[in-house]
Amino acid sequence: MSLGKYLALDKIANFFTVIKQNGGIRGSLYKMYRQDDLKDGVLVGQDEFGNKYYENPRFFFGRNRWVEYSDNFNMDYDGSQVTAEWFGWLHYKTDLPPHEDPSRPKYKWMVPFTENMSGTTGQYTPYSTTRPKIEPWVPPRKSSV
Amino acid sequence: MIAARNFIFNLVKFDRLKSTKCIRRYSQGKCPEEETPPCVPFNPCAPAYPVNFCKPRTKYDVTFVYINDVPPKSGGKDIVDRASQIVFWTELVRGFAVTLGHMFKEPATINYPFEKGPISPRYRGEHALRRYPTGEERCIACKLCEAVCPAQAITIDAEERDDGSRRAIRYDIDLTKCIFCGYCQEACPVDAIVEGPNFEYSTETHEELIYNKEKLLGNGDRWEPEIASSIRDTHLYR
Repeated sequence: MSLGKYLALDKIANFFTVIKQNGGIRGSLYKMYRQDDLKDGVLVGQDEFGNKYYENPRFFFGRNRWVEYSDNFNMDYDGSQVTAEWFGWLHYKTDLPPHEDPSRPKYKWMVPFTENMSGTTGQYTPYSTTRPKIEPWVPPRKSSV
Repeated sequence: MIAARNFIFNLVKFDRLKSTKCIRRYSQGKCPEEETPPCVPFNPCAPAYPVNFCKPRTKYDVTFVYINDVPPKSGGKDIVDRASQIVFWTELVRGFAVTLGHMFKEPATINYPFEKGPISPRYRGEHALRRYPTGEERCIACKLCEAVCPAQAITIDAEERDDGSRRAIRYDIDLTKCIFCGYCQEACPVDAIVEGPNFEYSTETHEELIYNKEKLLGNGDRWEPEIASSIRDTHLYR
């Protein structure tokens, strides 16, 4: 253990690194407002929404991987906006990010990911996928002749 | 120790006696020493007369109120009391130091929508119906899942398709009945119904949780990369 670490000088160095990586004082304040937390890390990848995935093993397990939601979402970020490809990496199911995992299938029938649409106009509404078993009798029309 | 204490007491007593020699109390017009010596026997714990009681600084008849200059008591209990007072006052500072230390400590919680907790590849979340790599749906409407479902949350109707294959035309799961036991995916002979890893499907209304076949197939189409990855990870348990 070096003297600087013993005197917690590395914490001060970390502080300035974090501020610098989050875009100066203004950027850091915005991130604090949006994410309640300021961290420094390595950018691992980005999904099709523009969410950025970071990693820093200095933090303990459970905090060492995180996502910064795309600026397009503004303050409407949601946990369900993490795409299926990145879900496993972010939940520590695998250490391979999707672009480094060759065994992830890419079939043409797969559809683009959507977030949880509940409460919006795009929400799912249940409907029957069968013909009704009992159909009402429709009286035959009299011919107009 | 005791000898030294007695020596100091005697010194003080001697001094006190000497100083009360020529004291006059204006109120009585005579020195209290003339009747009984007021300051002897000297008791350090409870002085018979306050300090300077016998040394008035004014010629007027004034009743002095004693307010200070009690010598610190040196009994064992008093010493312990004083020491513990010091300890408990510094305890305030030490307590604040602990608080300050925790402000700089790494928190033990995770910042949920940004950081997520670890889950298992065998996690049983939202249901999905899978397809073969060709895009053909796997479910053959054998109704094993419907039969094994302990909550009876699954409803299946089967029908023959135009190409002669048996398919489900209705596959409804009431997620509000489902107890997420995973028996359906264990019963399925073709790995069609699975409980995917997704747990962020909360809805605002009840009806949105009554999934039909299209919704389940859509879940499968969206979550296939993750479902396939989980199945590969858990192949030893299958």
